[in-house]
Amino acid sequence: MKTMTVINKLLTNPTSLTGILLLLAFAVVAVAAPWIAPPDERARDPYMIPRDGFSTTPEAPNGEHPLGTTEGQYDIYYGVIWGTRTAFRVGVVITLFTTVIGLTVGSIAAYYGGWLDELLMRITEIFQAFPFLLAAITLSSVLQTIYGRGEAGVLMFLAKALALVTFGSNPFDSVDPIQLQILTGILAIIVFGWMTYARVIRGNILVVREHEYALAAQVIGARDMRILIRHLLPNAIFPVLVIASMNMGAYVLAFAALSFLGLGAQRGYADWGQMINFARNWIPSLADHWHIVAYPGVAIVLFVLAWNLVGDVLRDTLDPRMRGRGNGF
Amino acid sequence: MTTYIIRRLLILPIIVLGVTILIFAMLSLLTPYERASLYVQDIPKRQGAIDDIIKKYGLDDPIPAQYWHWMVGRRDSDTGEIRGGVLRGDLGFSQIMASSVMKVIRRRLPATVELALWAAVPMIGIGITLGVLSAVHHNKLIDQILRVFSIVGWSIPVFVFGLIVLMVFYARLGWFPPGRLSDWASQVVQSDTFTQYTYLNTIDALLNMRFDVFVDACKHLILPVVTLAYLNWAQMLRVTRSSMLDTLRQDYMTTARAKGLTEWLVIWRHGLVNALIPVITIGGLILIGLFNGVVITETIFNYPGMGSFLAQAALSLDVVSVLGITFFSSVILVLGNLVVDVLYGFADPRIRLQG
Repeated sequence: MKTMTVINKLLTNPTSLTGILLLLAFAVVAVAAPWIAPPDERARDPYMIPRDGFSTTPEAPNGEHPLGTTEGQYDIYYGVIWGTRTAFRVGVVITLFTTVIGLTVGSIAAYYGGWLDELLMRITEIFQAFPFLLAAITLSSVLQTIYGRGEAGVLMFLAKALALVTFGSNPFDSVDPIQLQILTGILAIIVFGWMTYARVIRGNILVVREHEYALAAQVIGARDMRILIRHLLPNAIFPVLVIASMNMGAYVLAFAALSFLGLGAQRGYADWGQMINFARNWIPSLADHWHIVAYPGVAIVLFVLAWNLVGDVLRDTLDPRMRGRGNGF
Repeated sequence: MTTYIIRRLLILPIIVLGVTILIFAMLSLLTPYERASLYVQDIPKRQGAIDDIIKKYGLDDPIPAQYWHWMVGRRDSDTGEIRGGVLRGDLGFSQIMASSVMKVIRRRLPATVELALWAAVPMIGIGITLGVLSAVHHNKLIDQILRVFSIVGWSIPVFVFGLIVLMVFYARLGWFPPGRLSDWASQVVQSDTFTQYTYLNTIDALLNMRFDVFVDACKHLILPVVTLAYLNWAQMLRVTRSSMLDTLRQDYMTTARAKGLTEWLVIWRHGLVNALIPVITIGGLILIGLFNGVVITETIFNYPGMGSFLAQAALSLDVVSVLGITFFSSVILVLGNLVVDVLYGFADPRIRLQG
């Protein structure tokens, strides 16, 4: 299907249009964060929410704190605004890596077939045997134990590479501990989030491989890699794009869940899930402190909803046969 | 059909083996000190006790040897008997619970099972019914409303939904409390006059004719069940809807109508039965959804099940417990998927007749 037709469809369908507009709004907020929610001049890291005192009682929305504060006086407004950046960052990085890993594994399995295909598919199945959130929680806590120790060898190298991509930090410096905790969450989700892409791309390549232009290319004598990249991938890739756009929301949700449980972002970091974690201590009086849950909560819902709306229409447009799939890893 | 089942059964041990390898790989990322708690049966009392344990259980051994011993156990050099080993049911010692991981799992599993079972009923029932409704009235108002509902529903994180529900029904209204049982009910359940047949409070209460305990258990279950069920009914709705839409267009539906069957019979007897086939395949997805959902749901509602155990253990970085729970859950998931696959084999005549 032509790209222009797809884009046209996305922009005219009211559902996806709503999603796109929402995403644009979030993008604007994310970019404008330093202006609409200026960080403290003395603050080391603008992503740590500024605290107005240390009182443990959350405050309701008032003049100075338009959305109120949490326990420990973290400003919710600041957290929600800067949290937009965290959400985009986390979502994009995870999607990027899971797609690349999934595509690689799936393409190799599909193209070469035979025992390699069997092996790679068994490995995929093994990873899929773990309930996703449990696996992410497990790996997250293991990684935090290891990184907490200081020396970590190969894993530190991984962390630095991720830090470079996610935060743009210098790989020759040691990783900022605040960022390190976030990276463990991201890494945990990546490790257990690539399997659907692998299966889907493999299935599609197997189908597309029999098409005439692939056979024609082989007849001419084109090398394997060339056939794979120039002919098979572009046609098999659409479903992957669909799943990726739908999974964006799921990845952000998963990361928010990790933060809520205390494993993702650190206490006080500008992340929506982490802010809702503050509400756990106030459950009996939650009716008075509803703003701690409500504002970050609405942010998460709208963000995930936006991706789901776009992904839903994308799926209906590109491949109506896929209507039953997606939303799982 | 039999070839199909046999194939699935043969692959099963490979998958489980792979799971053990992956779990052990994560485990071996820890230092011998951290792993020593796998082999500890009680809280170590002496300073050098951990070193002794490391030497005794060969936690410095090469990795393949360690994996072998982790799986099948090790002969205790002092007493000569075999101890430990995953295959013998020993998943290590939990630091936060000061008890063996398996014991804690045994204690907390019934709570989670009860929650999951009660949640599965509305989840599947409502999801399928609404899915059928949506498909039958394709593109009309009700379909549009339900579609929007399910997309929005799927976008709300479990913990937000759970907290809001808790806020309204507990903090504000005081109707449904968190936890599993009120104190007085717990005492009744633990007492000698009450026999625990299934360890599921609701069923046991009915079997013991204690309706007050039953009501109490239900009051504690309602909020977590609603939260957990809500997670997945949207998924069921979408799959049922799309599969019904495909089925309704099939020729045999027109034939059935031509034969003179009522619309009702046509939809439910011919349509739904065939539409349910893809729905069975997401049985595996539902199982996953339940596993994932209980962690957060139980944490929010202070419900003492496996999910909250995992959350606590992860927070305290009690890695041994975390790995044990995940391993246990994965094995159950693999078995569950096998059941789903077999069911699917029965349901889809193409597989049933061809094998």
